Amino acid sequence: MKDQIISAYIKQCLELGKMPNNVYTFAKELGMEEKDFYTYFSSLEAVEMGIFQYWFEQVKNQTTNSEIYANYSGREKMLAIYFAWIEALKGNRSFVKMMFDKKQDNFPMPKVPRFLKLLRVDFIAFANALTNEGIGTKEIEDRKFLSDKYKDGLWMNFLFVMNFWLKDDSPAFEKTDAAIEKSVNLAFDLMGKSPLDSMLDFGKFVFQNK
Amino acid sequence: MEQNSIPSSKVERAMRFVKTGAQIGGNYIKHYSKKMIDPSKNKDELHEDNATDVYNALSELKGSALKVAQMLSMEKNILPRQYTNKFQMAQYNAPPLSGPLIVQTFIKSFGKAPQEIFEQFNMKACNAASIGQVHEAVLNQKKIAIKIQYPGVAESIKSDLRIVKPIAFRLLDMNEKELEKYVKEVESKLLEETDYELEYKRSIEISEACAHIPNLVFTKYYKEYTSKRVLTMDWMEGMHLEDFLKTNPSQEIRNQIGQALWDFYDIQVHELKSVHADPHPGNFLMRENGELGVIDFGCVKEIPEEFYYNYFALLVNELIVEPGIVKKIMNQQQIINSNDSKEVQQIITDAFMKMTRLLATPFVEPSFDFGNNDYIDKIYALGEEVSKMEELKKSKEGRGSQHALYINRTYFGLYSILNVLQAKVNTGERDWKTALFNYHKPQLAAVS
Repeated sequence: MKDQIISAYIKQCLELGKMPNNVYTFAKELGMEEKDFYTYFSSLEAVEMGIFQYWFEQVKNQTTNSEIYANYSGREKMLAIYFAWIEALKGNRSFVKMMFDKKQDNFPMPKVPRFLKLLRVDFIAFANALTNEGIGTKEIEDRKFLSDKYKDGLWMNFLFVMNFWLKDDSPAFEKTDAAIEKSVNLAFDLMGKSPLDSMLDFGKFVFQNK
Repeated sequence: MEQNSIPSSKVERAMRFVKTGAQIGGNYIKHYSKKMIDPSKNKDELHEDNATDVYNALSELKGSALKVAQMLSMEKNILPRQYTNKFQMAQYNAPPLSGPLIVQTFIKSFGKAPQEIFEQFNMKACNAASIGQVHEAVLNQKKIAIKIQYPGVAESIKSDLRIVKPIAFRLLDMNEKELEKYVKEVESKLLEETDYELEYKRSIEISEACAHIPNLVFTKYYKEYTSKRVLTMDWMEGMHLEDFLKTNPSQEIRNQIGQALWDFYDIQVHELKSVHADPHPGNFLMRENGELGVIDFGCVKEIPEEFYYNYFALLVNELIVEPGIVKKIMNQQQIINSNDSKEVQQIITDAFMKMTRLLATPFVEPSFDFGNNDYIDKIYALGEEVSKMEELKKSKEGRGSQHALYINRTYFGLYSILNVLQAKVNTGERDWKTALFNYHKPQLAAVS
């Protein structure tokens, strides 16, 4: 049922060119009692927030359950999620575009748009688990104060890729593939052990032993 | 208005191409090619090389931009000093593809992950091609090779060229308008190389037409697993030239392979009029039993009729003894133009004919020994001489037809492979000269 509500919501949004007026008209169009609607969602905004979360859940399950995923490094796991995510969004590009184009009312500070809030929570949880795993396997360097911020950096990158894809006009979104590959590689290169770590370590040593 | 400076932002952008330690420059190529012939040459000579040379400035450019720059400078000199053009070093260098990107590319192309299509698929690339990489897999218990291309390569090539074009023109001191045709030619060939479906089509055409050549082998391609960015073929056994020579093949085997290579090109040029224009050692696999495998049909040059009949007419002795015919060809090939003074026309024609006669030497005798280093050195020396000619240096426009770019390159590549292979080849087995002679016969009668 949740499934149906989501697809009906997307359909109505695209056809109306805006969000449905209220739960009553939305439910009526769907051929459902208004009170039944509340079993699944508390408001139309909740549907909106739920859509991206619902998609992410599906992408995550699908990707992490594939055989090849288990043998991937952290970097490759993240890449796999990104590719699958953009692939999933493709089927609803018009809707995604509409949502991202919506004027954000939280001026002057651009915040996370409401419709991405729940997605953000889930993505960050996923990213956190992945970076922790990476720290365990030494793929990612554990750095004081910084380690906690890795997941936020990855979320920023996730947003960047979605925005990039929405503006991408290359055939078959080839450029988005390259953007994913390059940005995730950069993120993991930054999180991995780098000469900077050795430099800091050496600097500290010199400072303490001068 | 004369353009006196390059806009600084463009210079800045161009700086991105400049990478320290990029040993792929022109002088490196020169050094390398000399070294192949004479291993005793050391690097000092390379460093001593004329540092102010335009070519050096261009050698700082990377990737597809370098390729264009090289091709252009080659045109300016008619013959490149770096005649053994190791062009394979100067291509777009794509980073490796990650596992998930490979899977993604397959899903986009065929709707399935490689693991679902093939019995085995090695996620680790066994070979990096210039714009992609090669993976080993098993299909129907057969070992196969899959070439996968990095996404967005065509776009990158286009933007690389946009940035480098004005700079290259400036450095070469050439007129942009005049050169547009050459740039277009190179650009279109580079872009064609990014289309694997086209490569598939061409490989089928050429391999079918050349299937009858003894000792020449082609691989089988799989249409159902080929897309714009994925090319699937049977694995080809064999060694690259360098490794093959380490096995000390007998002279007989060398000649056999050399002959297969020669016949392959002879038939393509004179019969198909469409030629595998990338004869660098990496595209051929040699076997100890004297068989030659051909791979990679990314770069194929189709030879227009009119160009063919004029360009190759210079190899027919009966035709070039007649100055009227030579002049007509020089004009058609745009080696000389009406703006040149009579004197300049004569000097350039003489230089060009001298070079042509030298390059045509293998065609004159029924057989030719490419192992003869004197011959290769002579080409090299003459090229150097021609490039220093004042008349050519002063000329701001490019000379020669744009079609000659890839044809010249093809023959330089072919000669240098045969030279390294030290092969003796029967060069006069097919008669294509009669057709050329007949084409020009009416004029021959008219002038005499």
